[in-house]
Amino acid sequence: MRGVARVGVYAPLLRLDCAAAARALKFSGLAGRRDGYRAVGGWDEDAFTFAVEAARGGAAALDTLIFASTSAPFFERLHATLAVDALGLPRETRTRDVAGSRRCAVSALLDALLARGSALIAAGERRPARPGAAAHLAQGDGGAAAWVADEAPARFIGWASLSYDLVDTYASREHPEPYPAEERFVKEGAAAHVLVPTIRRALESAGLSGGDIHHVAAPEPVAGLWRDISRAMKISAPNHASEISAKLGDLGAAHALFAFALATARAKPGERILLTGFGSGCDALVFETTGSMPGAELAEAALNEGALLADYVRFLSLNGALDLDWGVRSEFEQKAQATVLDRYGRDTLGFIGGRDCAGNVQFPKSRIPVRPDADGPEAMQDVRLADEPARIVSVTADRLNYTPDPPFWFGLAQFNNGARVMMEFTDADARGFSVGDRVAMRLRIKSHDRRRGFRTYFWKAAPAERPTLGG
Amino acid sequence: MASGIKDKVAIIGMGCTAFGEHWDKGPEDLIVDAFEQALADSGVARSDIQAAWMGNALDDINVGNSALPLAHALRLKTIPVSRVENMCATGTEALRAAVYAVAAGAVDFALALGVEKLKDTGYGGLPLRTKGLANDLWLPYGSAPGSFAQLAGAYTAKHRLNGDDLKRAMAHVSWKSHQNAAKNPRAHLRKAVDMDTILKAPMIADPLGLYDCCGVSDGAACAIVTTPDIARGLGVANPVTVKAVQLSASHGWEMSYGAWDGSYVLNTREAARRAYAEAGVKEARKELSLTEVHDCFSITELVTMEDLGLSDEGCAPADILAGRYDSDGTQPCQIDGGLKCFGHPVGASGLRMAFEIYTQLLGRAGERQLVAPRLGLTHNLGGAPFNSVAAVSIFGRLH
Repeated sequence: MRGVARVGVYAPLLRLDCAAAARALKFSGLAGRRDGYRAVGGWDEDAFTFAVEAARGGAAALDTLIFASTSAPFFERLHATLAVDALGLPRETRTRDVAGSRRCAVSALLDALLARGSALIAAGERRPARPGAAAHLAQGDGGAAAWVADEAPARFIGWASLSYDLVDTYASREHPEPYPAEERFVKEGAAAHVLVPTIRRALESAGLSGGDIHHVAAPEPVAGLWRDISRAMKISAPNHASEISAKLGDLGAAHALFAFALATARAKPGERILLTGFGSGCDALVFETTGSMPGAELAEAALNEGALLADYVRFLSLNGALDLDWGVRSEFEQKAQATVLDRYGRDTLGFIGGRDCAGNVQFPKSRIPVRPDADGPEAMQDVRLADEPARIVSVTADRLNYTPDPPFWFGLAQFNNGARVMMEFTDADARGFSVGDRVAMRLRIKSHDRRRGFRTYFWKAAPAERPTLGG
Repeated sequence: MASGIKDKVAIIGMGCTAFGEHWDKGPEDLIVDAFEQALADSGVARSDIQAAWMGNALDDINVGNSALPLAHALRLKTIPVSRVENMCATGTEALRAAVYAVAAGAVDFALALGVEKLKDTGYGGLPLRTKGLANDLWLPYGSAPGSFAQLAGAYTAKHRLNGDDLKRAMAHVSWKSHQNAAKNPRAHLRKAVDMDTILKAPMIADPLGLYDCCGVSDGAACAIVTTPDIARGLGVANPVTVKAVQLSASHGWEMSYGAWDGSYVLNTREAARRAYAEAGVKEARKELSLTEVHDCFSITELVTMEDLGLSDEGCAPADILAGRYDSDGTQPCQIDGGLKCFGHPVGASGLRMAFEIYTQLLGRAGERQLVAPRLGLTHNLGGAPFNSVAAVSIFGRLH
């Protein structure tokens, strides 16, 4: 039966301790949220990289790939198409981006479930907010993904939709940061006019009542809203979206899918999950689980792994809220050429190297292989390196070169399949990197041309294991 | 069958500006200053120069592209003038071209001049440039210290060293060069620095601190070359001759093939092996009186001592700390202060090294003169350890 066949999640390494932010903002009385944690993306991460990271590990081919975000870096350049390259999927994959509301990922999932063929919905979010605004600490950065197929461990058994322009918040080209309405208005209106009626219809379509639901993945536009809804609907099941809000922050378009992944990780076979997407209306979907969900185990890990960030100024800088003057060394040219991207973009974004006739793997590919005994052009077979483990051969923490989050780690990575690449490292913990360390590849921003508003992406080596929070 | 370059070309004149922060001089001034010194030293007329090569590495920030800046600055009238560039090995490339032209019999007198004007960038260190080309899509924008610092970690891991021990040996390299440069009026950094200051300096690229990095300087150096026969005709009976000029360039093996351990520079080893063969050097440790190596960073000099075969593998730190390469050691290295303290105007450095060997061989080095040097070696390294161009040259007297 058609449903969700696989899930994926991604949270960046850093977790801002909101108490530390509250201390820094104490003078202003604008501290906002004073407890819990907020997932903070590195300087080289954005909504697209989050979505791709969440969408790794799926099938080698799909009918449709949909990228969902309200904070996508490009207005005109399809992220779903970039994701096809980054994930090494065939170019024949149909692609589209969805946006306009935090529920866009759930809406896309619903459309995919009602359509035919296999689909991947990959959501990522990294929304701007001004320091002092409640959203600045309430929001979090991250990604989530869901794969739709005809045979799936989460069977799709009911749904309902509602279009309703309840302006709980908005963002526009003139005002990119979310502008919220009064919380009490949102709390009452969202529950009474949007969520409760939609959930009721979804349960009816599945032939269920509130007591039949075992797990909920329902992002709350304001804290405490779910309590009101659960009372109204007589649903006593845990809402996993609330736990994500406390540990990672509000992940926007990715939040519902992240919560759904967590719900599938905790659900037993035969249990039912309610998934809602809210924003300019609502989509409510009901699933019944039949077995273990591939990828779900990553959801628990993502909540408990990471590194605490207590430096509020670094948080502001990473989040783009503080525009530091990095000096003249930051003034270098980073323009990317369309013709070069056309020739090398897909292999770069997919981290595709080549295997020569003798079996040696190299990156990038070349007409004449790097193998010492090669003496002429050879045909090369594509080899994806993004998923290949590696170890560090040489490394340094470069403190001279400009990077928005010093130091600039880079060095030689030796892949288990024999390839070797000089590359940037990312997600350094307090120990840093050393020769011999095991590393895994992460898709990141390679260059950010702020003058022209363009960015390129490549893979960077990150520690193979993440630290446990507080460990 | 190739017979090599040994003793086919004589250096009859050299010049070298002081290296440093020449706020008051443009590249044309540096060119003229170095050339006029070389011309006066050679005894030939300006009009005798039949071909010229200009070495300049970073055309987009200072001197300008093509060879025209050299032709204009010296008013070289319609002779063939070319610009060569091979990163930090550029100076040696200019000399190699001039030497080959004379050895081939194409010209009687050739000029090689290296020049760089780095202090118009507005900051310390070398500029970082990208042009949106294929490599920019994936290669890290690493700085020069960052690229060379990679050697240290790999070297430490390979030889199971304590990082502090390597750091002390690296500090000694810099300490020695500061000591030497204090006696060199042309050097950029003429100040002795104690070991403690070097060891406690701010970190630039782990484990390279500020004093592990060479100076970034303006400067020019120049050579006029001819045949030994013509030199004799000019009254130079026993000229300084070129015994070997060898170059080795990476083909991607270090960076893209999984066999290199990151702890040495393959091209230095290859260029040295060929240079020793060309010059007929059998025992480099005994036959070479002095060396001028590409000490862009202290770790580079340390590793180069092994790559040139002067120290056994894994033994350079001990040899360095024992003073073997100090001015009073058995095989002085960087007697003029090296890149570290003489300075590193990139395109000029290879010729500056040759200038010091030439000066020492002719007994003109004044306070820093070594006793009866016989053969001197220069090592000029461009790029990074994982993707490099290495040049090794050997110079001596004809007889």
